[in-house]
Amino acid sequence: MKRKFVIISLTSCSGCISSLISLDIFPQFLERTKVIYFQFISDVKDIEDCDICLVEGCVSEEDQISILRKIRKQAKKIYALGTCACFGGILSLSDIKIAEPISRYIEIDGIIPGCPPPMKLFGNCLIRLVENKEIELSEKNMCGSCPLRGNMEINSNVNISKITPNPEEIKLDEENSECFLAKGILCLGPITRDGCEHKCIKMGLPCEGCIGTVSKDFTSNLVNYLSLINLSQELKNYTGIFYRFSKPKLEG
Amino acid sequence: MLKVIEVCKRVEGHGEIKILVQNDEISLVNFEFKIYRGFENFLIGKKLLDIPKIVPRICGLCYASQAIASCKAIEDIYNIKISEQARLLRRILMTGELIKSHSMNFFFQTLPDLLNIFNISQKTTTAYDLINYDPQLTSNIYELIKIGNEINNLFGGRSIHLISLIPGGIIYSPSKKNISIAKKRFQNALISLEWIIEKFIELFSHQLPPKEFDAPNLIYLGLSNLRNYNRYSGRLSLKEANRNMIEFEKQNYSSYFGKEPELRGIDFYFDNKKNVIVGPLTRYNINENYGTDEIQTYLEYFDKPWTNNILFANFIRLLEMYIESFQSIQILDDHNLTIKQEISSLNSVKKIDGIGVIEAPRGTLLHHYYVNDHNSLDGIKLFVATEFNIPLINEMITNYAKVLFERTGDINLVKNNVQRIIRAFDPCISCATH
Repeated sequence: MKRKFVIISLTSCSGCISSLISLDIFPQFLERTKVIYFQFISDVKDIEDCDICLVEGCVSEEDQISILRKIRKQAKKIYALGTCACFGGILSLSDIKIAEPISRYIEIDGIIPGCPPPMKLFGNCLIRLVENKEIELSEKNMCGSCPLRGNMEINSNVNISKITPNPEEIKLDEENSECFLAKGILCLGPITRDGCEHKCIKMGLPCEGCIGTVSKDFTSNLVNYLSLINLSQELKNYTGIFYRFSKPKLEG
Repeated sequence: MLKVIEVCKRVEGHGEIKILVQNDEISLVNFEFKIYRGFENFLIGKKLLDIPKIVPRICGLCYASQAIASCKAIEDIYNIKISEQARLLRRILMTGELIKSHSMNFFFQTLPDLLNIFNISQKTTTAYDLINYDPQLTSNIYELIKIGNEINNLFGGRSIHLISLIPGGIIYSPSKKNISIAKKRFQNALISLEWIIEKFIELFSHQLPPKEFDAPNLIYLGLSNLRNYNRYSGRLSLKEANRNMIEFEKQNYSSYFGKEPELRGIDFYFDNKKNVIVGPLTRYNINENYGTDEIQTYLEYFDKPWTNNILFANFIRLLEMYIESFQSIQILDDHNLTIKQEISSLNSVKKIDGIGVIEAPRGTLLHHYYVNDHNSLDGIKLFVATEFNIPLINEMITNYAKVLFERTGDINLVKNNVQRIIRAFDPCISCATH
């Protein structure tokens, strides 16, 4: 029996669903499942009962809450697809719009994180859903498997004063062995989930945390991290570094 | 007065059609967007170097274009020229993006309309039907999507929201091995594209496109590089049929169009603004040297009723993938591609504002930034392709809906058929609702 899928978008850049369509296995995914609603590529107008619903995008509008509550009743399982749906995403930078993860309004059964979800991780998650298995994500942070050979170095004597190296200082990973934190460059690897294959770090840039936090309690994790590093006054005043992809909520 | 609203299907993002009916006549049809995100608002105060990392998130289809337009605006502020190697690599990344964007749009969004309009197949309303319609077509389309992903991954660090694009150049110098891999991929792209283009000619060239898709007297707006096809650089051009082309530098754009930050949409400062079009049809009409000999041969299958019709954009999108795959192979053979140069350092701001303009897959994309004393963004204006096309789309769907409703009185038919016109423009709603 083919499993019925519904794929919906809330407020997003469409990057997660365009990643989904562009996966090598997408035609096989369509063969092995029954996609009954997917506005991006189909004419079907009404959402019906389904086994699995993938939700892309954050909640930024009032009417999206009722869409989510309705689909919660219709879908056996709901997964947040991409960092916006999982944690709020890039709109967390806005002071005007709200950007909430879907789990703030409905119970969810799992997440496929990333901005967008890394292709390999995404493909594996999708196969597991088609085969009626649970999604498995790493429970470790980025540092354990970091390609930079030095150890993660948190040293309160080093003043962390940059969020990105100057363009002329950027080196690819083979010529760049030292931890960014040791060089005074902020890297969010210590509080970010492993799973993206360290793509930015291999390109000589520190982790921005786009795949989201490894811990459910992002706020306390972040507070811990901030207490360990010596952040420059300029960076303390600069808004939107730590919550670029997920704004911590104090009320939990 | 009756207001009918219909959600658009098979488009990128959330769009609605609003139809106003008064005294049994349609008075207006508008293509409208539900969600605006406010990038122009929350980018204020951000460090210049930070901006190209944020703006790709405006759109998951035009991510490379957004980042490159942003880098160019910042390079304009610092008055730096990037290396030839970086320029060539950026063009290849733009091609990777275009191949993915055009092939997904053609296959999933507009092909079902074409098959339906020309009475070839009425049974491609779901993605499942579509992938089984012609397995060879599906496999050729997926070959292209895979190539787009691989090229962006290889030179950009990942397939969407690329990592290597930074102001001053690009963090990457390709190895001989990767150049040879990329070349093979583009050679395969040409083979797949030849098949798809010939299929398009076989299916549609002997038929006449319906009149509702006929374009009015269009004003083409786009970037032209001495009338050669090149989406990375050039001067802005305005061309109206039977009139001389007007060309202007990017810094003079505000004599021709502009926008108020709080208001949605673009204002044009010339007549017939409802006829402005950007995108593939513009690039075809403003460039004299439009690709290779093969392209010329393909174009000869279509004459006036087609070339003056919005549906022709579908064919042009296929040809653009062909031209750019061909150009990318030439770039990969260019010895400048392997000459590694230091990324230009951003020392001191030379101007208080900077403009970056390129041709994104759907048309002209312009970023205009104003900077303060702390190298932070003080003001920003973003002009994206779909925004330019909105007045024309609304004019065409209103005119068509009026006639169709008068003839049939069937509002459902109107709701359904106006969407075909909208989809023929390949709107990018994420971009337009930045």
